[in-house]
Amino acid sequence: MTEPAFIDLRFDRSLYAGPAIDEAVKVFAAHGEFHMSEETDTWVVKLRALRPGPARTRRLAHELANYALGLTVQRGGA
Amino acid sequence: MSAATHAPMDLVAIRPQAGTQAFFRHRQVGEHVLVTNFEGNFLLLTQAEFTRYATGSVAPDSELFTRLSSANFLRASYDVRKAAEAVKARRGFLHAGPNLHILVVTLRCNETCIYCHASRANMDRVDTDMSKETAEKAVELALRSTSPFITIEFQGGEPLVNFAVVRHVCEYAGRRARELGKQLQFTMVSNFSLMDDEKLAFLVAHRVQLCTSIDGPEQLHNAQRKLPTMDAHQRAVHWIRKINQRYIDMGLDPTLYHVEALLTTTAASLPLWRQIVDTYVSLGCKALFLRPIDPFGFADRTRLRLEYPRSAYLEFYRNAVDYMLELNRQGVQILERYAGIFLTKILRGEDPNFLDLRSPAGAGIGQLAYNYDGKIFSCDEGRMLHEMGDSRFLLGDVRTSSYRDLVGHETVRAMVLASNLDGQPDCVNCTYQPYCGTISTFNYKNQGSIFGRMRESSVCAVHKGIQDYLFEKLAARDPHVLATFERWTTHRPREHFVQEPTSSPTTSAPPVQSPAEP
Amino acid sequence: MQSSYPDIPAGLVAHDLTDAAVELRVDPAIYPLQAVYGAAYIFIDRCYVFLDRPAADALRVTLTAKSGQADVGALRALIGEFANELISCAWRHQITQDNRVLLETVTLQAIAGAMGPPSLDDLASFDFSDQGFDDPLGIAMSWEEKHGKKPPPATTSEPTGDTTGDTTGNPTSGHGVEEPTP
Repeated sequence: MTEPAFIDLRFDRSLYAGPAIDEAVKVFAAHGEFHMSEETDTWVVKLRALRPGPARTRRLAHELANYALGLTVQRGGA
Repeated sequence: MSAATHAPMDLVAIRPQAGTQAFFRHRQVGEHVLVTNFEGNFLLLTQAEFTRYATGSVAPDSELFTRLSSANFLRASYDVRKAAEAVKARRGFLHAGPNLHILVVTLRCNETCIYCHASRANMDRVDTDMSKETAEKAVELALRSTSPFITIEFQGGEPLVNFAVVRHVCEYAGRRARELGKQLQFTMVSNFSLMDDEKLAFLVAHRVQLCTSIDGPEQLHNAQRKLPTMDAHQRAVHWIRKINQRYIDMGLDPTLYHVEALLTTTAASLPLWRQIVDTYVSLGCKALFLRPIDPFGFADRTRLRLEYPRSAYLEFYRNAVDYMLELNRQGVQILERYAGIFLTKILRGEDPNFLDLRSPAGAGIGQLAYNYDGKIFSCDEGRMLHEMGDSRFLLGDVRTSSYRDLVGHETVRAMVLASNLDGQPDCVNCTYQPYCGTISTFNYKNQGSIFGRMRESSVCAVHKGIQDYLFEKLAARDPHVLATFERWTTHRPREHFVQEPTSSPTTSAPPVQSPAEP
Repeated sequence: MQSSYPDIPAGLVAHDLTDAAVELRVDPAIYPLQAVYGAAYIFIDRCYVFLDRPAADALRVTLTAKSGQADVGALRALIGEFANELISCAWRHQITQDNRVLLETVTLQAIAGAMGPPSLDDLASFDFSDQGFDDPLGIAMSWEEKHGKKPPPATTSEPTGDTTGDTTGNPTSGHGVEEPTP
């Protein structure tokens, strides 16, 4: 069985709060493998679900992004 | 009868010029133009008069100038002090806390209603009964309110199912209110099917105002409110007549003291406007509240079957109220409650403190709802949403929360802000803003946020449609209609229902939803 | 994203049926970011929402159906409702700024009127240990303490490093996001 592919989630730093992304990754840590890095304007989260299947990885990415957005809004923005 | 259609006014052709007018909003109502100002004064102008006003060409010695000036529509003569007094009168409710305290003494109910708002439980679910201890704690919180008037409303489920707690609350709260010097009244919303002479004797002796649901004629009522015996209507009518007779026997004025009945308007109701009005009149009811169905409780699941376009509702409303006005002309006294609320604001410059039709709305600051298990919500709709699985409007618990925790809760603050029409798109420009209100829980349930979007809100459409109708009637100046409207805005307090009145309260916030009586 | 809708000006909306996603390009000169946040937040319970900047002068909102499936009409309806919410939030943002004093005054009066003064019981349970003697305005501080050299501001926490597998966090903010069940 091949390893599931990673998805890159690229969060614009002017739109998402860094701590919100940190917190979101912690919340979903049990369900996936995450590698975090930063570029000039972007937080990058490379992720894949622990259990195989591209649909699972996509869903994990979507849930993570929603969670990060929710926390960002609750903080009052980026 | 539908609203008459008139060609829309051509504002471009009028070429308005700012400068002489004080702040105003305008709306075409039939062949007139309605203008309202910041403090809620209104004038109905002809299009020619509006053109003169909007272009700043009203002659100073004209009758129109006098009318505009005395109603505070002109900048040069704007009376700030008068405006401030008017705003103060309209927002008197801001100075006192919740006066409506809803006690859900059980979720159990013996009737199965196709639109049930209350998230009912079956009769074997004794675990959904409120305990006496919980009820006492709820009463203590209610009596902490800064409002000098407290109304405790028994709801369910069917409150007669847990009558022991109703009885206990009447005795306990009555005693505590006397000790604390609070004015207290009780109301109960019941289907009456479990009423008996002993319970009635207790309720009458303890001055509990009784309300029931009547959906209209027998066939419609029994199809929508189902008992195993299929005689919900007959039972309700039996007790309505018996209770009304009891009040007469006690020497109480039957035009003031009678069972209040509540209507839920479903799709099946719409063609039956005349029969519904006739049913209420025949039962001795003096008021009918033409409430549209709402999305809470089980109603949501069956909505497709029960819902209807708001235009159809407004047609129903116009037909029913036209008929009620005709009956009044013939000497029958029957009031439409929505009209009474709006007209009190429009004609009297006062707020009757109907909690869903004020700005800001009453959730948390005008009412609190106590669930059977002691959980406390901003309003009854918030409690229903909790029963549907969404606890967004949960404020606390009778065991752990202080009164100030509840009314100062961040959810209450958010709801106050969200229901203030001065912060609401569309409402800020709406001619009806001084008389209107929005409901955060309804907006949240239907549009995803407590703010909502008024242009797409069915409640907004209903409010605008009703006010259009009322202002058309005011513009028509039929003396019989104006005399009826005058009666509909004359408040007659039901002092008998106040528990052994104490000394006069020091603040002037009126009791909740105090009904105007015809 | 593959196609746009004929009833919407070109380049504003596109959808992708494979991903059940629809995107809206937003001009930040018209819609302030706070309005975009407000509208986006309202939609996170019914779809997945992602924000990015495809260009320096543009924001993009991507909505993806949680079910993973949606037809053209459903995506059109979704983005249409979002656009309505967005314009409502933008206007509310402006009104709130314009009427801030009025809104705050009424809210303050409403809450204060409802709460009333604290009772002796309230005061008895009040925590006077530290919080009551905090000095947020620095009134009790000396001039030197108040205006002297300040320590460097604390750095904001940023996402760093890798997190893999075995740590679990507790969502404490409670905005109702479902956890995946892979």
